[in-house]
Amino acid sequence: MNCKEAGRLLDPYLDNELEPRPRFELKEHLSLCPACWFLAQERRELRIFVRAIAPTDKAPPELKTKIMAALRQEQTKQTFAFLRQPWVYAAAMLVLSLSSALNILFPDVGKEDSRQAVLLHSRSISADHLVDVASPKPQVVKSWLTAKLDFSPPVIAFPGSGYTLIGGRVDVIQNRSVATVVYGNGRDVITLFCWPPKRNLLAQDDHFIKGYYVCAWSSAECNYILVSNSRGAQIDEFVDLFRDQVQSGAY
Amino acid sequence: MPHLDGAYNFARLLVGRDEDAQDVVQEAYVLALKRFPGYRGNDARMWLLAIVQQAAYKWLKKHTKQSYMVRFDPAIPATTTDQPLSESSREEQAQQPDQTLNRLPVELRAVLFLREIEGWSYKNLASALNVPPDKVMSQLSQARQRLRQELVRVHQQDLKHEL
Repeated sequence: MNCKEAGRLLDPYLDNELEPRPRFELKEHLSLCPACWFLAQERRELRIFVRAIAPTDKAPPELKTKIMAALRQEQTKQTFAFLRQPWVYAAAMLVLSLSSALNILFPDVGKEDSRQAVLLHSRSISADHLVDVASPKPQVVKSWLTAKLDFSPPVIAFPGSGYTLIGGRVDVIQNRSVATVVYGNGRDVITLFCWPPKRNLLAQDDHFIKGYYVCAWSSAECNYILVSNSRGAQIDEFVDLFRDQVQSGAY
Repeated sequence: MPHLDGAYNFARLLVGRDEDAQDVVQEAYVLALKRFPGYRGNDARMWLLAIVQQAAYKWLKKHTKQSYMVRFDPAIPATTTDQPLSESSREEQAQQPDQTLNRLPVELRAVLFLREIEGWSYKNLASALNVPPDKVMSQLSQARQRLRQELVRVHQQDLKHEL
């Protein structure tokens, strides 16, 4: 691959949009060409810059009130249009439509956390970039994460259990920075996200999203979301091991 | 209210003022309710943000005098616009944390936000915005190039002021 081709493919590469073969070839080119590597770094920094300056505020509290009022007004307008239809069916459809719409437009916050966690987990696997700090030593991963975040996450190793600590990285879930600790279990990957709960404790929940097993729970120190393609029983075992260690303070 | 926060921030990026962004988001939710019987997709957030974009463009067409669609010409360096995005005062604009993104044409701001903040793939961008994937890549490339030019210009201005 030459530099001209590399330059053309750089943006799709950094956007994780390249097919495996050109991605591999470009990666190889970047490891050999300092100029292109520098260009890739510049473009990475531009992306970080955009994420840093884009608005990420909470919507003003009065906005939801205004929206609900506007939706009710719209519902009333639609009622008159339905009057031509049999009234029982029309009324049921209106109620169903509005409540279903509200479920979609104002979803459960915990489920949104899990949805984003699954997205980050699957992206890290498809981009072949699981961690930013790779180490089987918990103290190395913990120090790195603590330096990047405003809290110190629990990072635990489980020697002899079959669960290998691969490393860590920092992600963003719902506009907050979270610690991400990645484990291997044979060929499977377990990604554990955690962040301080402040006022919002996650409800305990296990479910599947897009084929991935998701387990959420919280303690006084952290909210946790675990994502994996491993079977449920193995994850239950991992979660039990993890919670025992956290409870015992042995980390 | 995760979708509401995303919708609000997207609208703010497109129309500028907080008050106007709230109007746009409110209009978007009403549109979403009207279109809900036809909703068949899996990703509600993506569907809603596409509607926010439409509502924002409609608002901009109605409330701003200049055309909001600026064709990118790489021969023309990025320049500041003397026209505010809306009728907001200079004080209100100064309160916004960073004006660099606001100096891009709104179409480019939108695609940059949806890609960098919302993590939309090229395929999702093309489908939701109803444009071919090649146009998505071209718009992203334009947006990033324009942003780089703007950052260089601001940096040069800062140097001049220091001297």
